[in-house]
Amino acid sequence: MNVKSLFWFFVGFVFVNFASSLWLLLSSVLTITPIPLPYWLLYTPGNIVTAGIIVASLMLALYAYLGVALVLNKMHRGFIPITMVIAFTIGITLLLVRQAIPALVILVIAYVILIGTYAVLISVTTSRASKALWGVATIILALMPPILIGGGLTVINYIRYMALVEQATAIMASAIEAWRLGTHNP
Amino acid sequence: MVLEKRLKPIWITPLVIALAVASIVVLVVDGVGASPSLIASIHIGGFGEVDYYASQPMPNVPPGLLVRVFLINGSVIEPVDAFIDVYANAPNGIVHVSMGYSTTLIVPFSNVNWQYVINKWVLLGVSSSEYETSMLIFITYVRGNESWILPLVIPYNVAWAIKNPRYIVVNAFINVNSIKPSEVIPAMPGTTAVNLQLPSNHSDYTAYNCDLSAPKPPPETAFKPEITCLGFNGSLPATWVTLSNGVIQNDEGLQFELNIYFSGTINWDAMAAGYGDIGTSYSANENWVLSSPTYTIGSQITQPGSLYWYYENATWAIVNYTVWFVNSSMGTYHLGNATVFEVLYVPPNDHYIGMVLDYGNGSVSLLYYLASKHYLEYPASSIINYAAFVYTGQEYLYQCNGPVTNASTTSGTAYAITLGGVNTAYGLSLAELGTGLGGLALGISSMLITPSTSSSVTSTYLEFFNVNTGTSLYISVINASAVYGLPTFGFILNATNYYGGPTSVTCKYNQWVQIG
Repeated sequence: MNVKSLFWFFVGFVFVNFASSLWLLLSSVLTITPIPLPYWLLYTPGNIVTAGIIVASLMLALYAYLGVALVLNKMHRGFIPITMVIAFTIGITLLLVRQAIPALVILVIAYVILIGTYAVLISVTTSRASKALWGVATIILALMPPILIGGGLTVINYIRYMALVEQATAIMASAIEAWRLGTHNP
Repeated sequence: MVLEKRLKPIWITPLVIALAVASIVVLVVDGVGASPSLIASIHIGGFGEVDYYASQPMPNVPPGLLVRVFLINGSVIEPVDAFIDVYANAPNGIVHVSMGYSTTLIVPFSNVNWQYVINKWVLLGVSSSEYETSMLIFITYVRGNESWILPLVIPYNVAWAIKNPRYIVVNAFINVNSIKPSEVIPAMPGTTAVNLQLPSNHSDYTAYNCDLSAPKPPPETAFKPEITCLGFNGSLPATWVTLSNGVIQNDEGLQFELNIYFSGTINWDAMAAGYGDIGTSYSANENWVLSSPTYTIGSQITQPGSLYWYYENATWAIVNYTVWFVNSSMGTYHLGNATVFEVLYVPPNDHYIGMVLDYGNGSVSLLYYLASKHYLEYPASSIINYAAFVYTGQEYLYQCNGPVTNASTTSGTAYAITLGGVNTAYGLSLAELGTGLGGLALGISSMLITPSTSSSVTSTYLEFFNVNTGTSLYISVINASAVYGLPTFGFILNATNYYGGPTSVTCKYNQWVQIG
């Protein structure tokens, strides 16, 4: 298949993650600094939710691109990320119209398909390092909910660290894959 | 292949690697708590938002309070210059801390005047985990010949000034369409700030000047604030029942008990005339289960007045803020004023609580007096026509806006009204009361990101015995949180009509029961 089209998925993945973490750092530091700022730049709950929705939309667009690219290359596993995007979109929409219970059910399903999407990424990446890193990210992603359910709020800090490591691993995996696809011309 | 090459410029791969590394660095910085993380957020009506951040101290940005002022005009929200004036609440008064004309004002915990107040709290010897105090902020925005004054109260824990530094960011919203402006008028010679009046005789509390301001900071602006702080020290009502003269005369032999149960963190909110709730001025852990003796009208209670549970040795205040604009060429202008009622201190836990009768000169009478003098306002929803015992040839119990339960006891049937506190879902629902009861809880929505372990249970309970054929009693409830910011209820008993003699009574619960 023409895996080259996946190059832009990985580039996009790194860009979106960079932009969101940069916003997080800048916004939080600037907010406590006594310089005049427009309200939308402040690190407030409302703005965090807005930023979260923007980042989630960009990530979903990327996963949709991934799914479509795979399906166009006759790889039916591309339907997994497409299904996930649809599920997350429905879940977030339900949340925005304050249907908490159905939203939760759909989002849990979407989360499970997200783990499936990571498995798809392991199968389509070409470098061994990237495969290994996506593997680690997948395992952490799968472990977080049972640990949270088992440990409750007492383990919330561990969950935060796990999420952080998961994100870092996924970013590294994407960067390595983008680098490989960008420099090797099979 | 040519297209692929054009789409994938040579610099993109190193850039992706660089961005990935940068992202991971930022994630690690965030993960180790080096960047500020939002730990709690409070909305104060539509006037303000307070966000609390935990962080390692930032270079050149000392931890403390940061006020940001925004102008809301329609859908536009933008930073705006305003006169920001900050006071710290002490256990027995208020102290001027800082002021300035800007879009932002930073007040570090290290501010000398703030430290003076922190020290007063520390000297109380009460563990900082037992209570939270607050800062009192007035923001004045002037445009043309109109001005807007916004009072806000910002809760904080004194431990943050000593260890565990926090950054407290206040976003104040001057909504020129929803806040009533004052007219900027030239000050006439001899014009002074509002003079607060008090009832001439009183017991159960002492009144004093609670402006503890240290020497004023050098004048920074043409804005001149003036504070009048009238402090009260003594018995702060926890709940009360007030009996009219008609009840004393008509319902001789009627007996009642007034009980309160509370466990958890209790918030006393500051109220400003014309604004309503402007934030929690004091909160403490309290824990009590108190039942009054049975009082009999006609023998133990022989004249109109109030019976109330109180916290002993509490402090509360009425603060009047007036601000002037002084210009050497144009003269002095009066920009407006604001009046705030706030609780400064209540001893934590159930060390000092008691019950006393108030025949017109106690703390409950003071509350009524303040409301009648318009230092405080009764919102329409704060008085609830609750229930009545009515005699029309037969004796009826009319449950107008909430249920009255009955139980058989050795001394006959007991009729009880149980009200939940404003901090809890326990007790009556809003629908049952059919009014804005619990407006406090709805107006201040708090979003806690960290898990909170505090739980609270509270109820206020009024029980009647010896209700006979011929008993005529109208029971009104004051939602004291909506008027005074006190998280409690007061009952007012009248013989012939609900409190205030309403011309029409709206009953959402509306159930009649024939008794006796």
